[in-house]
Amino acid sequence: MSPRALNAADRGRGPHLWRFTPLQRTLHAFVIVSFFGLVLTGLPLHFSNAPWAQGLVRGLGGVGAAGLIHRFCAVITFGYFFVHLGSLVVLARQRGWKRLLWGPDSMIPQPKDLRDILQMFKWFLGRGARPKFDRFSYMEKFDYLAVFWGVAIIGFSGLLLWFPELFSTFLPGWAFNVATIVHGDEALLALSFIFTIHFFNVHLRPEKFPIDLVIFTGRATSGYMEEEHPLEHERIVQTGSLENLAAPPVSRTVYLWSMTLGFASLALGVTIIALVVWAVLH
Amino acid sequence: MRGMVCFAWVLTAVGLLWAVEPMDAQAVPVVRCENCHGERDFFAGADSTLFVPNERLSTTVHSGLACADCHRGFEAGYPHSTVNRVTSCETCHEQEGVDWNASIHAPNATLRGDAPTCVECHGTHEIFGATDRRSPTYSLNVASLCGRCHADPSVIGSYFATADKEQARTAVAQYFETVHGHALTVAGLTVSATCNDCHRAHKVLPPDSAESSVNRRNIPETCGACHEGIIDVYEASAHGAAKQNGTPNGTGHLAPVCIDCHSAHGIVRADEPVWYLGVVEECGTCHEELYETYLETYHGKVTRLGSTLAATCSDCHTPHNMRSVDDPTSSVHPSRLVETCGACHQAANANFVQYRPHADPRQGDTYPVLHWTWLFMTSLLIGVMVFFGIHTILWVTRLTIDHVRAGKGVTPP
Repeated sequence: MSPRALNAADRGRGPHLWRFTPLQRTLHAFVIVSFFGLVLTGLPLHFSNAPWAQGLVRGLGGVGAAGLIHRFCAVITFGYFFVHLGSLVVLARQRGWKRLLWGPDSMIPQPKDLRDILQMFKWFLGRGARPKFDRFSYMEKFDYLAVFWGVAIIGFSGLLLWFPELFSTFLPGWAFNVATIVHGDEALLALSFIFTIHFFNVHLRPEKFPIDLVIFTGRATSGYMEEEHPLEHERIVQTGSLENLAAPPVSRTVYLWSMTLGFASLALGVTIIALVVWAVLH
Repeated sequence: MRGMVCFAWVLTAVGLLWAVEPMDAQAVPVVRCENCHGERDFFAGADSTLFVPNERLSTTVHSGLACADCHRGFEAGYPHSTVNRVTSCETCHEQEGVDWNASIHAPNATLRGDAPTCVECHGTHEIFGATDRRSPTYSLNVASLCGRCHADPSVIGSYFATADKEQARTAVAQYFETVHGHALTVAGLTVSATCNDCHRAHKVLPPDSAESSVNRRNIPETCGACHEGIIDVYEASAHGAAKQNGTPNGTGHLAPVCIDCHSAHGIVRADEPVWYLGVVEECGTCHEELYETYLETYHGKVTRLGSTLAATCSDCHTPHNMRSVDDPTSSVHPSRLVETCGACHQAANANFVQYRPHADPRQGDTYPVLHWTWLFMTSLLIGVMVFFGIHTILWVTRLTIDHVRAGKGVTPP
């Protein structure tokens, strides 16, 4: 028996299969880096009374630098958001809007997702088998749509706060009060969710512990797919796409970069959660 | 030996003959003081303070006085009494004497003997005017002069040991760090306030004394003696009016005077970050609710993190001319908000100034939209985290149970 691979996506039998495109992997890396930039510079403002707030801001180069980093990362966020929207249009032209918005590999929640949630709880309580997920589980869809909604909401409210004079030409001033609440609380929700629930669902649960690099390397073993996305795997086998999707083993460079970004993100994310807990309890 | 003593007596006798000089036929022979007290050798080995040559007085403010104007009772000539009788300075300096007698220094000088009388500050023979650089009472020298006692650990220990005198313990050292102290020592500004400008030179009284220049009630007048441009504005402000009124407000706070915001011995320049950031706390000690809500806003949060760009209390409410929002001349009266906000936000318009810089989302009646937004966002946060929290805990539990069962050879369902 071969030793258990550190990367969950390398475990299990069979060849590696492509799961994510280079664009998707790149965009996710941009999401990570810009999100950390936004969180690290926004969190001390949200919890300005926290014992660590002033030290963190000083470490980032002061209030001015923090504000600059925050806005720079916001621009990156708008950038990846619109690149992604563009890629959706391209995808829709290739496959048709219908397949993008509905069906087994759509990101839009399906009736099956509701059934999966119920089935999941049945499994939790020992009253049924574990649900079989398709290309995207309801958790991944929630992650995706939460970021989609989050970027839109936080992004728009952030623009309001960035350019209040411009927006006040057609919005009342109390809109900035609302935007402050929405921006901060939605951001708090985003980081709280990502650094606990997303981390658990994707990396830290016993099946995948300690890390799943599929989003970085773009590929996972056939066995991984069979376990995590059995319906998707079944369809791949049935349609004879196994060979089309066959991926070469990951190069050492990509592997090391993925490991570094992955573990660094996990560590930083957990640290940020600790800071939030500290601030809330303070 | 005997010969030496004889020789000394002869010398003394000769000296006295020289000293005694007939003025005119009727006059009592006058002994000129400097004939003895001007000779260093005459008092060799004796108390050196008896050596007072004329030059020591000739350049002082007392150059026109004769020894006997202060040292009375020596008119009968030599030999005179060895008791040093000095007439009170009050004889000429009447008001200063009255003031000093009313000061806290007087009883301590009389009863304990370690508080300053005239000579401790002004000297004895070399008395120069307060505008003379050689004088210890010259403005650039005053802080060091007062510091002789007020920075002396033994004096501090005996007079200022109790908790209520904490400020007095570090007063002199702190003074040198203040804007007044810097102006004096770094910039050499003689017009800068030093000890006696606030505490008075002679009528020095502790702040709890109603007559004290540093009593709360007298502070605006004391500071206003120099800061003339501020005092009028302050008197006309909401704070000034409340001070005139004299009674505590609804929350039990007295109207602030200069030192409440600027402190007494911690005064710094108003454009220094330490002041800029600290004044918010200062206002907050009375305006608690406004302080809390301010800190919920971007202005407040970024200021707390150390930014000096965002608005603090005085940017909107002005530093001294703060007035009620209902007062049409107030900087925060609705009719003047475009101008006030526009000081930073150049393009501020009627829409813009509908921003609520002290909004409290918990107050549903005053801020309904904000309140519901806040409730929705908080519920969303709690709802999502609780749902997925349970989801996660159940997941781990399920896997743990299955793992334990697998160890016992039980196959999961």
